[in-house]
Amino acid sequence: MSGVRQVVGMTGDEAVAHAVKLVNPDVVAAYPITPQTIIVERYSDFVNNGEVDTSFISVESEHSAMSACVGASLTGARVFTATASAGLALMYEILYVASGMRCPIVLAVANRAFSAPINIHGECTDQLVCRDASWVSLFGESAQEAYDETILSFKIAEHPDVMLPAMFGIEGFIVTHALERVETLSKQQVEDFIPASRIVRDRFCPDENKTFGSLVLQDYYMEIKRQQEEAMQNAYKVTKDAMQEFSEMSGRKMEILEKYKLEDAEYAFVSYGATAGNAKAVVDRLRAKGEKVGALKIRLFRPFPSLDILQVLSGIKAATILDRSATFGSPGTIVQTDIASALYGQENVPSLHGYINGLGGRVLTLPEIEEVYEKSKDYNAIGMTSTTDWVGYRK
Amino acid sequence: MSIVLPKVSVKDLQEWSKLGEVFTSGHRLCAGCGAGAMARQVTLAAKALGDPYMFVNATGCLEVASTVYPYTAWDAPWLHNAFENAAATASGAIEAMKAMQRKGLMRERNVNMIVFGGDGGTYDIGLQSLSGAIERGHDFLYVCYNNGAYMNCLSLDTHILTKNGLKRVLDVKLGEEVYAFNQETRELVLKECSGIFNNGIKEIYELKTLHHSIKTTMNHPYLTVQRSRNKEENTLVWKTLDELKPGDEIIVLKNLNIGQSFTFEEIEISKKGDYKVHKINEIKLPEKSSSDLMEFLGLFLGDGWIRTHKAETGFSLPENSDARAKLVSLSKKLFNLEPSTISKNDVYLYSVNITRFIESLDFGQGAKNKKVPSWIFTLPQEEKEAFVKGLMQSDGYIIGRSNRYVSASFELLKTLRLLLQTMNYRVGKIHQQTKKKGTFVVYRQLLEDSTFGYICFSMKKGSNVDKYPAQTKQRDFLADNNDFSSEKIVSIEFVKEEPTIDFRIEGEHNFIADGIVVHNTGIQRSSGTPQGAATTTSPPGSVIPGKIVWQKPLAEIMASHDIPTFTASPAYPRDLMAKVQAGLKHDGPAFMLVDSPCNLGQRYAPDISMEIAKLAVKTCFFPLFYTYKEEWVLTGISSRLAKNPDRKLPIEDFLKPQGRFRHLFKPEWKNKLIEIQDTIDEKWARLVKKSTCI
Repeated sequence: MSGVRQVVGMTGDEAVAHAVKLVNPDVVAAYPITPQTIIVERYSDFVNNGEVDTSFISVESEHSAMSACVGASLTGARVFTATASAGLALMYEILYVASGMRCPIVLAVANRAFSAPINIHGECTDQLVCRDASWVSLFGESAQEAYDETILSFKIAEHPDVMLPAMFGIEGFIVTHALERVETLSKQQVEDFIPASRIVRDRFCPDENKTFGSLVLQDYYMEIKRQQEEAMQNAYKVTKDAMQEFSEMSGRKMEILEKYKLEDAEYAFVSYGATAGNAKAVVDRLRAKGEKVGALKIRLFRPFPSLDILQVLSGIKAATILDRSATFGSPGTIVQTDIASALYGQENVPSLHGYINGLGGRVLTLPEIEEVYEKSKDYNAIGMTSTTDWVGYRK
Repeated sequence: MSIVLPKVSVKDLQEWSKLGEVFTSGHRLCAGCGAGAMARQVTLAAKALGDPYMFVNATGCLEVASTVYPYTAWDAPWLHNAFENAAATASGAIEAMKAMQRKGLMRERNVNMIVFGGDGGTYDIGLQSLSGAIERGHDFLYVCYNNGAYMNCLSLDTHILTKNGLKRVLDVKLGEEVYAFNQETRELVLKECSGIFNNGIKEIYELKTLHHSIKTTMNHPYLTVQRSRNKEENTLVWKTLDELKPGDEIIVLKNLNIGQSFTFEEIEISKKGDYKVHKINEIKLPEKSSSDLMEFLGLFLGDGWIRTHKAETGFSLPENSDARAKLVSLSKKLFNLEPSTISKNDVYLYSVNITRFIESLDFGQGAKNKKVPSWIFTLPQEEKEAFVKGLMQSDGYIIGRSNRYVSASFELLKTLRLLLQTMNYRVGKIHQQTKKKGTFVVYRQLLEDSTFGYICFSMKKGSNVDKYPAQTKQRDFLADNNDFSSEKIVSIEFVKEEPTIDFRIEGEHNFIADGIVVHNTGIQRSSGTPQGAATTTSPPGSVIPGKIVWQKPLAEIMASHDIPTFTASPAYPRDLMAKVQAGLKHDGPAFMLVDSPCNLGQRYAPDISMEIAKLAVKTCFFPLFYTYKEEWVLTGISSRLAKNPDRKLPIEDFLKPQGRFRHLFKPEWKNKLIEIQDTIDEKWARLVKKSTCI
């Protein structure tokens, strides 16, 4: 390991492509879609320039992308793909096949709003709605985190106790296209972190007369699904350990939950992805005014770290949840309902105030965040334990 | 580079058969399934090449039937992903192996990849994935085994006998209990309806017996009497409409003995003191049906009307008629109400609550829309008799033992006919008559042409089954049965194309439609495997003649990707296996369309699958050929037929043994048959013209 940290300017998409290059998977099957395109383009460059020896399958749709990934992964290969929004929706059927057949595929999602109306900008709904597909699901705030989570995802997915696919998301344009400083890792570091040998598993390959994807009826289906749940529970600990190991290797602190000025806080912001940056900026502004406030950033969305969240939020009076995702007719924002479930029935927990914001790439300004912070405090003061609002739109 | 077909001799087949099966026994494909034969031939041809082989299989019969967890019929690496993505899945596996071989993670060698897909997974939903994989040049042989699907169904104006009375086929709900024929005890039983399928527009035929009639598709199965030389062996078997002819006997409902009085739903009634109600005829409404009430309602249905806003229930019953006297006495008895008999021709009951009560009973509005409501069907015999008695006093005529009922409402005649069929009556067909404009009827002239109908019926005589068992049973196979009897078919005629529907019934797999015992969907499927569900929504194999053959030109579409494309039939294994080997030896993708006969879908006996497959080739319905770029080559039988055109069989030979085409042999479809032959001849001539023969 070299002691010198290399710093390079990269967009979020480029950071993902460069990280994948270090992993050098066997197969990448992908179909371009804005704002994921740069990942695929950059990686095709690496393939065609001989910088990696990956088989790049330029499929004709995202459905075929995920299908090819499943075929490749069952053959024993290390597999990567990337998509966004409509592409992820088209993959949806095969997401379940991938997890059900225990294929440790890694998927980068350039989070983008769903149509209609058609929009190409950042919003995390596409990834959040895949929460029940039995995929490990992570979010990154910056190009740096995109870079790190790319490598980390392989480690988690391929762990023998997990063997589930993993996806990580960065918000379209806000992260994917913004040029940021990225501390890179060396090839050696990545190879030490992710072993070069391929996972040991039943493989679809010559010499192994094995049947994959058989028809499973009422008599066995539930047992097989239950094994997925157990793998998902294992993924929690595996992620924690992998993040610890990654922190030591890279010298950058990486945790399931990032806690910012929460030690003495009475109020907290909860967010994930790029919104977390804004939340931290507001915390600084509010602290300057004497407010006791901190920010919590969720990096691991599935398996949901319920106990960690309970621990961190215990003692907080009110939590303001900034959720860049759309849900309709729901009891709360997508992340808010998960947090509410984690806190339910516990004492000394905050009131939860969810705010749907930033849809279709709309910017949530710092004054707006301050405003909802005050609003949450008011709600809390009059004893409202759970509220959900939209913020930052024309009334 | 052109394609070279290896020569496969009978000796080769003998040698290869010793290699051991790849697609092993124990799979659950149906007896007679062409896909099983096809899979064995393809896998064995691959094994004979010596290189390792792998299979990707799209969702479909072959996959479902061969890998019921925790078992598998595949002694080979085998992978199933989903329905529409078998080709993309194979792409992934091929690229993965290439990459891992490049990196030294896998031993380097040639692997033969074969992808299986059914017609649904290839022609329709999987075509994009297949085309994409071929464009990328992934080296596999895609084998599409093409069979058809089938469906059988009822016309929408069919009536079904359910626990809650007679219902139009559209009104039957999932989970509702319907009456069925228990094939063991031969009794009437109630069974749950567990599936309803909308089957689209189909050709509908009407089957008539002396007392019954029903409209269904040609492939709908009926319970029929199979007579044998030895009377002891006479038995009941299911036959589809196309296998039946006039004179055959089918099983019909004779009697519905297990009826109960009907409890009426409470309706809103007006009382004195309600808003604007100062005066009201206090009457008591019946809670349950009774013989008296049913006779009253029979009179009402024939001659009555209601005007709720006037609180008026009127009956057109002239003075001094027996019916008028009966109505007066019934009104007093039932409602304690004295009717107004001032008018010479009409009788009035004035009670708003009676009008509301009658309105709630669902007799239909207006003279032309009257009907027998569904709840009457499950009443006890004596209440139904009373209802018919009342009805007969209105518009009925009694001539000796025979009864005739006249009405302008054909729905009423149809439902009355079905009601009588549950009461052990003989009922004739519905006759139709038209009276010209200007004809004098009762006391007025008709202002326009008026169409009305009538039916004739009579009580069945008790049969002497105890005294003359053999004779009565010759006439009615189920003479000693309380609920059912057998009736001879009088005619089967084409009606028109119209929307259709069908059910799945738990346990007995049959139900009673228009008084006739008919089978439900999924008859030939083994114990309702998932494939049964899939075929009820799949479009091919429909009985509409125009669509029987010429679906997408799949072989041509694939050939236009500039890849070797083969057609083959499991009836000609040497030809098929030679093509499999040629396809696998080719460097790059290859496609093979296999005609895979399905005895369930095509409706023929399971032991003639290979005969059917041969006839498809010999009639040039499914020519055997291969093509690559400019080259078109006819092979095997097809090549011989091209050289000796007089050996080509007429298409009838292929169509005739299959139930699904039998309706084409009726005189009205003669032109269709000629049209089909012309199309085949034209396509065949075109193929011969551009092909060489080997």
